[in-house]
Amino acid sequence: MANITKKVSWSSRPDESGSAGDATPLLNGSEQPRYSRQNSAGGNMFHIGRLSTVDLEEEITSEEDSLRGRPKEIPHNEKLLSLKFESLDYDNIENQLFLEEERRMSPMNFRCLEISRWVVCGLIGFLTGLIACSIDIIVEKLAGYKYQAVKENIEKFTEGGGLSVSLILWAVLNSSFVMVGSITVAFFEPIAAGSGIPQIKCYLNGVKIPRVVRLKTLMVKVFGVICSVVGGLAVGKEGPMIHSGAVVAAGVSQGRSTSLKRDFKMFEYFRRDTEKRDFVSAGAAAGVSAAFGAPVGGVLFSLEEGASFWNQMLTWRIFFASMISTFTLNFVLSVYHKTPGQLSSPGLINFGRFDSDTMAYDLYEVPLFIIMGAIGGVLGALFNILNYWLTIFRIRYVHRPCLQVMEAMLVAAVTATVSFTMIYFSNDCQPLDTDQTEEYPLQFFCADGEYNSMATAFFNTPERSVRSLFHNQAGTYNPLTLGLFTLTYFLLACWTYGLAVSAGVFIPSLLIGAAWGRLFGIMLATITPNNPVWADPGKYALIGAAAQLGGIVRMTLSLTVIMMEATGNVTYGFPIMLVLMTAKIVGDYFVEGLYDIHIKLQSVPFLHWEAPATSHWLTAREVMSSPVTCLNRIEKVGTIVDILSNTSTNHNGFPVVVQITGSDEPEKLCGLILRSQLIVLLKHKVFMELARSRLTRRKLQLKDFRDAYPRFPPIQSIHVSQDERECMMDLTEFMNPTPYTVPQDTSLPRVFKLFRALGLRHLVVVDDENGVVGLVTRKDLARYHMGKHGLEELQLAQT
Amino acid sequence: MSLYKNCLILLAINIFSPVSGDGVNGTAPDTTDKRTQSPSLSPPVVAAAELNSANIKPDLDSLFPLSLLSSFPEDPEVSDYCSELLHIFGQRYVACVSCLVPAARPVKVCQNCYSSYGSLANIYRNISGTLGPANVSCKDNLLRSDRLMLVNLLYINLEDVWSKSNCKQCITKEFQSLTNDTLYFMAMLNQTRTCFEKYPQGNHSEQCKNCNSSYKGLNELYSRMEKNQSLCIDIEDAQNLIQKIQWTNFNCTVAREETVPIIAVSSFMLFLPIIFYLSSFLHSEQKKRKLIHPKRAKSYSSLTNIQDKLN
Repeated sequence: MANITKKVSWSSRPDESGSAGDATPLLNGSEQPRYSRQNSAGGNMFHIGRLSTVDLEEEITSEEDSLRGRPKEIPHNEKLLSLKFESLDYDNIENQLFLEEERRMSPMNFRCLEISRWVVCGLIGFLTGLIACSIDIIVEKLAGYKYQAVKENIEKFTEGGGLSVSLILWAVLNSSFVMVGSITVAFFEPIAAGSGIPQIKCYLNGVKIPRVVRLKTLMVKVFGVICSVVGGLAVGKEGPMIHSGAVVAAGVSQGRSTSLKRDFKMFEYFRRDTEKRDFVSAGAAAGVSAAFGAPVGGVLFSLEEGASFWNQMLTWRIFFASMISTFTLNFVLSVYHKTPGQLSSPGLINFGRFDSDTMAYDLYEVPLFIIMGAIGGVLGALFNILNYWLTIFRIRYVHRPCLQVMEAMLVAAVTATVSFTMIYFSNDCQPLDTDQTEEYPLQFFCADGEYNSMATAFFNTPERSVRSLFHNQAGTYNPLTLGLFTLTYFLLACWTYGLAVSAGVFIPSLLIGAAWGRLFGIMLATITPNNPVWADPGKYALIGAAAQLGGIVRMTLSLTVIMMEATGNVTYGFPIMLVLMTAKIVGDYFVEGLYDIHIKLQSVPFLHWEAPATSHWLTAREVMSSPVTCLNRIEKVGTIVDILSNTSTNHNGFPVVVQITGSDEPEKLCGLILRSQLIVLLKHKVFMELARSRLTRRKLQLKDFRDAYPRFPPIQSIHVSQDERECMMDLTEFMNPTPYTVPQDTSLPRVFKLFRALGLRHLVVVDDENGVVGLVTRKDLARYHMGKHGLEELQLAQT
Repeated sequence: MSLYKNCLILLAINIFSPVSGDGVNGTAPDTTDKRTQSPSLSPPVVAAAELNSANIKPDLDSLFPLSLLSSFPEDPEVSDYCSELLHIFGQRYVACVSCLVPAARPVKVCQNCYSSYGSLANIYRNISGTLGPANVSCKDNLLRSDRLMLVNLLYINLEDVWSKSNCKQCITKEFQSLTNDTLYFMAMLNQTRTCFEKYPQGNHSEQCKNCNSSYKGLNELYSRMEKNQSLCIDIEDAQNLIQKIQWTNFNCTVAREETVPIIAVSSFMLFLPIIFYLSSFLHSEQKKRKLIHPKRAKSYSSLTNIQDKLN
């Protein structure tokens, strides 16, 4: 591609001119061939440490020109692992600094820490709730203005002629809102696209997705979701809430913002991946709980998606955050609705109360529910397959930001057009109700005092449409309307998910499901004309919604509870559970869940619960990367700088070895040190010679490492003079002296279990004499998966 | 308490069987008490029955309960003042109901009965008010001395009717008269009606054309009033009727005239994405991924292709 221009851009970066000058000759020096074709262990973690500060696009380029030979190029597909992603350091580094700090801390300090954890969780809940209700209120207002304007326009033109003008007005309004949202997403923060649930899932799994929990992402996400919902796309605002909650958590727990360059000097102890992860799961829970008014569902969502690192106290704290979030939302909404202090108004999506008298179900309906679950599974699988092909097409061909914005605008315009046409040609007129749920009833060609029933489904925010499908009395919609609506909305929602706008898939799925569920209920009532009472269409709409959502996202436990809490009806727990189970079983037969598909398509090294079956014959020797770049315990600064600046082997963890002087024994493993630590050491110039000359020098503390977290500067920005290159560095104090190791013959599932359960980032493979033979990282494990023809191996690629 | 309870229950029973005035004497045997349980299970029905009988023979029956009550003057708790109030309440209640029933279809509840309801509300307020002359309060005595709380129940029924009909919006405060808006609406309505009546049933198109302006004006007025929330059931019902005449009897539908431009515009819109995807497929270069060959231990070479091995 554009190798040359990119090379120029790399070397012309002003901030690294000094160090690059130092490093460049070394790159091309005598040692170079040794590294030239070695990617691995660290090749896996190619971008580590620099990703945060260097623009991604340029990053790729720098690697491109550093690669020798001609790497094979293939079109993007789902069987790849990207080098872009690295692991999070969930394992505590128990080096001497850590032990010292722990010694210094009094029991009082630990108690304070515990309290501040609770405070942070409360803050997370509070802020997430605030964000949720501001989104809610802004969307309601803006959508109100939009629909009012279009409605007035339509009324004006219905009789006099010129409805095509209304159509164009609607389309233009929609696409201009979507354009604004899409521009912010595509040009400023592409990671904010979509619902964010796959990204959070990956984060909780232990994958560091660049820029996923930044303040900027949060802003773009919130702004984007408002634009896309107001723009009338077939999307919901619930998925993004989960992401927003997670970002809030990651931000609040750090007590500072790197984007704003403000440090509040708070919560410094939490500036570690381990602590941050706990808060992020609390944030995700708070997001779910604000979105659906389902605090327990939120906790279970976090549990279902990130359950590998849990304990009882953490669960309790997360539950606290969820509750605070729901009730903040309730309180603010109660003030907004002018009934301050009334805490019973539910979450963002309000399914309305299901009256247990009219909506009772009987034993003989259970098989019907199961059938609906199966239908939901099939339709969900169809949705996922269609979306899978569409996403592949998008990744391959629609990857330029301006194209993405255009695509989003087109989708918005077509959504408006299709809706308008459907409403225009619909003959389904219903009398206006006194307790009408229709906010913007459109009359069109209906008699006065009646409204177009297709318009209640299309000419409304999706949440309201879901509610009216659940709660309007039997006979509000005729079957033809529902059938057409299901079909068009299915296609629109499928087309919309994956656009460069921030928007979730929860509400569209619920809406599709509610539509065909209601249709199902109406059909049942017509089949059994003598006893139409039991087939209340609202009940079947609810079951259909659950089935469709379950068929698409394949969540089970948390979704059951979310649906139960959002409807405020425990008695539906059993049918909803049955339906979700059936939908998952049927859907899994065809294809994976939507989120898993998107994780795969983004080439994320995601570790599932278990190692793939039939993989016991693989041993660590085959899995690991080898040979490993090791460091000596007392290493020359020049060597370290060279290793770190080698762009082709962007290793992130380095086993530290020691050789007993004077003996012929091979080197033995004595610790593990991370790139981020080395960079901090280099930055502070912790060299043995300097330490001797300057006795008063302050000792490096754990705090210095925390201050640099999470955006460690790239090695190029650190200036090391020629003299300093000759100095020596003692890593003993800083390395992790007890890294996890496995013998070479350990089976893959064993390695996998260790990795997954402990949240490891590097696992050293050693021989009988404790010598390093290889290193297992996340990508080495994630590349095995069960395919159609047994065990398959994913390929590593640059993305 | 139980004594009064019995009293009132028996009172209701006695409408149907006015046989023994003695039974009310407070010395009612236990058997009567048990017997009364079953009919008293549905007090509204009884109340309604009472109402009906009162309606049919007003001169006789409306005074009947009072004569019963006054038959034991030794009762210390029901003062003369209170029984007087109760008497007036009964009369006004009857008047109100007899006004409401004929106004049921077409609904003219608010227009016809606001004054009778107003006076009923007035007397009820007197009863439920704390103090009468000489510091007598009838509230406890008449309203909540027993389980049935008949006076209350009766009044709540009518109050419910009133609030459901939303009449408050069309009546001035203190039940003086109809609001100006309502009167204006009624005038407009009559105008439209007379216009409709001018044309015979068969002559649809002319009716649609000529009465359209007044019909439109009425519609606009209605939607304006809807926005101010000054609608009551009378207006809603009248409007519904008019709409029904306009749309079903006279069949004044708006024709769907613009099908062609709509189809043209929407097919143009639908065409755009096809062009977009085709052009990005043809012109945008496909994103390729560079494969990386990870470094592995030597033994790995024999296992490079797991698939082959498994197959």
